[in-house]
Amino acid sequence: MSWFNSVLNPLGWTLLLVVPPLIVLLYFLKLRRRPIQVPSTYLWKKAIEDMHVNSLWQRLRNNLLMFLQILAVLLIALACLRPGCEGTELSGERFIFLVDNSASMSATDVDSGSRLDEAKRQVGIMIDRMKPGDVAMLMVFSNKAEVFQGFTVNQNLLKQKLGEIEQSHRPTDVREALNAAAGLANPGRTSTDAGDVQIADALPSTLMIFSDGGFENVNDFSLGNLTPEYHAIGGLLPPVNVGITALAINNDPNISDRREAFAQLTNSSMEDQSVSATLFVEDEVFDAQDNVVIPAGRSVGISFPLTALFAQLDTATQLKLVVSPDDDMTEDNVAFTVVNPPRLAQVLIVTPGNEYLELAMDTEPIQKMASVVFESRDYITTEEYRTKAFDGEFDLVIFDQCQPETMPNCNTMFLGDKPPGDDWKFGDKQYPTPIADFFRSHPLINSMQLTNITILEAAKIEGPSGTQSLIDSTYGTIMAIGPRGGFQDLVCSFPLATFTDDGFQVNTDWPSKLSFPLFVQNLVSNLAGGARFLTQDSASPGEIARISPPPTVSRVQIINPQETQFSQSRDKNNMIQFSQTELPGVYTVAPDEFSTETAPPIQYFAVNLFDPQESNINVREELEIGFEPVAATTEVLPARTEYWKWIILLVLAVIIAEWYIYNRRILI
Amino acid sequence: MFCDSPTRRSGKTQFATGNFGHDSNAENFLAMNKNSGNNLLTPQLLAQLERMELVSRKIFRGRMKGERRSRRKGQSVEFADYRNYVPGDDLRFLDWNLYARLDKFFLKLFLEEEDLHFYALVDCSQSMSFGEPTKFEYAKQLAAALGYIGLVRADRVKIEPLGSSYAGQSPVLRGRASLWRMLDYVQKMPDDANHSLAESIKSFAIRNTGKGIVVLITDLMDKDGYDQALRYLVSRDLDIYVIHVLSPVEIEPDLAGDLKLTDIEDGDIAEISVSKRLIEKYRETLASFIETAREYCSKRGIAYMMTSTDRPVDRLISRYLRQRGLVR
Repeated sequence: MSWFNSVLNPLGWTLLLVVPPLIVLLYFLKLRRRPIQVPSTYLWKKAIEDMHVNSLWQRLRNNLLMFLQILAVLLIALACLRPGCEGTELSGERFIFLVDNSASMSATDVDSGSRLDEAKRQVGIMIDRMKPGDVAMLMVFSNKAEVFQGFTVNQNLLKQKLGEIEQSHRPTDVREALNAAAGLANPGRTSTDAGDVQIADALPSTLMIFSDGGFENVNDFSLGNLTPEYHAIGGLLPPVNVGITALAINNDPNISDRREAFAQLTNSSMEDQSVSATLFVEDEVFDAQDNVVIPAGRSVGISFPLTALFAQLDTATQLKLVVSPDDDMTEDNVAFTVVNPPRLAQVLIVTPGNEYLELAMDTEPIQKMASVVFESRDYITTEEYRTKAFDGEFDLVIFDQCQPETMPNCNTMFLGDKPPGDDWKFGDKQYPTPIADFFRSHPLINSMQLTNITILEAAKIEGPSGTQSLIDSTYGTIMAIGPRGGFQDLVCSFPLATFTDDGFQVNTDWPSKLSFPLFVQNLVSNLAGGARFLTQDSASPGEIARISPPPTVSRVQIINPQETQFSQSRDKNNMIQFSQTELPGVYTVAPDEFSTETAPPIQYFAVNLFDPQESNINVREELEIGFEPVAATTEVLPARTEYWKWIILLVLAVIIAEWYIYNRRILI
Repeated sequence: MFCDSPTRRSGKTQFATGNFGHDSNAENFLAMNKNSGNNLLTPQLLAQLERMELVSRKIFRGRMKGERRSRRKGQSVEFADYRNYVPGDDLRFLDWNLYARLDKFFLKLFLEEEDLHFYALVDCSQSMSFGEPTKFEYAKQLAAALGYIGLVRADRVKIEPLGSSYAGQSPVLRGRASLWRMLDYVQKMPDDANHSLAESIKSFAIRNTGKGIVVLITDLMDKDGYDQALRYLVSRDLDIYVIHVLSPVEIEPDLAGDLKLTDIEDGDIAEISVSKRLIEKYRETLASFIETAREYCSKRGIAYMMTSTDRPVDRLISRYLRQRGLVR
């Protein structure tokens, strides 16, 4: 610590200290006096006779103006010394302040409010400690990174931007922030090695991460010129937090008729915690569980029976689970889920006649999920079909040995034929077709035995980019699923049976196997979207929510938990993608020009944090970036308190006084 | 007195009412004012001055008959005394009534009425040409006003420009009729004095031996001092009045900044940096200068009066000079 911190070099000091003698000298120089004629200088001469003095000190005796001027210069010299006390300055010249504003930073185990407030306070101190000429930038990260202020020497601007940082509800991922910081700090680097051109000299920077460390280590990252400093933000005592890390409703009517809401409560504290969980349905208490004990660092599941509720459900309903008492992080003490009224999936099967499919579709589980319509191949040339297909009135269309002119706005399955266009290609038909392998874990054929199927004729399939092979024969893929925008096309190169001039001819014995009805059930459940109708998966804050409104609705209003309305229309894939999901809570999807008096909302969807890592608010003592351990720094040295601004104000006051005295002729 | 009184009465009536329409003197006055640009005396001021007369604290022997009583006995209507008749006395003054009662000749004596010498000495130095109006203009106006009072009272009036090229040529004026001459002369007086105050007064004292009132109108701004000048006057046993004329900017200088003051007379230079302290010092010096002059005059029986050019001449005469006893 030093009392003075000079900003001038010896030459500057020499020049500054020459000024006071110059002022004195100027006072001895002949003034350029204004000539004036007077009737007689007799009285004036007599008057100045007494004041007229010859010696230097007598002349200086009452020259207050000169003394004020010298005082001002000396004060300026003092200000240049930057007198101050206590505190240190930051070492280095370039700083990157990385502020974590993820959900865990809303924990209130610190004195200054939330952890984010504490982080902002500490960054403010760091900005104060910057030396003149130091440059710094300010970045904020959660699971995305945002440059709040690029490199600047303007400390006021940095502080202003620092004040604008707001708490987010997102989980944490520091990788994007590190990449952005590295890109800005090491300007010569590019993301790929190809075409890497040195565009500027890389300058070493200090990367200061203000976070609770609630993110995974980033090891595949090279710091380059970045020198990391980790300022752990958190309270002195171990934090207490019990958070809801999952809330779901079992919605598969085929598994069980019982309806239950399952919740997972995670205790990240160092001690066992006992909480009570209350389930609200449409803001009214529906059920509660007291004294749920969660061991330290463990999770427990609780369930609430909902069968009675579902029996009478005919409109979209919101469910809210609240854990009490409040702890250091309240954001994860509330979770939401929604139950939308069941709607049957619309399945169209265009076929010349396929008994196997008819039988498979006639099963009870499928009847519960979908409304299946069979049409002949001529139907796809009708105007009615075109309109319905374009409007997205179908959830799944199965084209049996036929292909439409244009693809419908829904998921499709092709049997013995391929979608129009060049994306899909069939090879020559092969005979016979032994099955070599299949994608066992895919939801459509999960847990099925397919190797016992015999297929007579099939063709090798090549699909567009992103196509997944489901069943492979010895000569290639014979069943594959590929993306088409927001839809999926399942293509099976072998028909179940063919109808030729020779008559009905069986092509495979798969319909006689147990796996076939299961496959059809999975098909309706997954591709027709039967699984989504009852409840909908919760989105994370900031994640894009995909909404599939009824076909008749082309434009919807989405109302967030703060009652802000967003108008959104379908995209080219006939879906609605909504990205303004920053706030956790229940979002209402309603027809455009919605009002509660005229029509109920179409559906709800919920946004929840549901991140065990984020709910774990224990402060990490060490990070690892690029395999380099970065230990936490909890000590925050105060900024050096400097008085030069006050001295400059004093100089200003002295100059004003000098001006006043000169003009008012009080005393010279 | 006998010949002037009708004119005086007429003039007094006319000026007092301010009605010039039927008076030849007033018409002449206006015409002259117009022609010569004479603005020394306004009709109102003239009307005011009509009623005044110059008063001397001393009684001097006049040269001609005037309108003021003399210690000398002479011809007038004012009875003074009797004395015994001696042969040769003018029989017209015998008191025949007494002779009838006492059978003795007594001669009636009357107070002589005489004129008065009135000198107005106007400082014509360049320092007088300062101020707005200039001190010189003010002095000329004052001299003309006092001179007019003298003319009206049939005194011998002489207005002398001190140190000027006109000095020594000033006419002795008498009687109201000389007003135009006086005004013309005063108007044409230049402020081109090239002699010191002492030299000019010495020259005046040598040339003019008559007793009477002398009014010195000056700013006393003479680097050689004024005591020698006043001494010349005192030695002449005159009734001396000093009217010290200063302009307001000399009394309260409105100066600021760093100045080079040039003496208008001798080009002397004084460099000053105006400050409150200097202004205060100047005021002290001026007050001391005035006080010294007042004391000097008081000790020598000289009536001293300081005036500023912003004080109207009529007010100066009617109030201040009346208080000092110069006029009544």
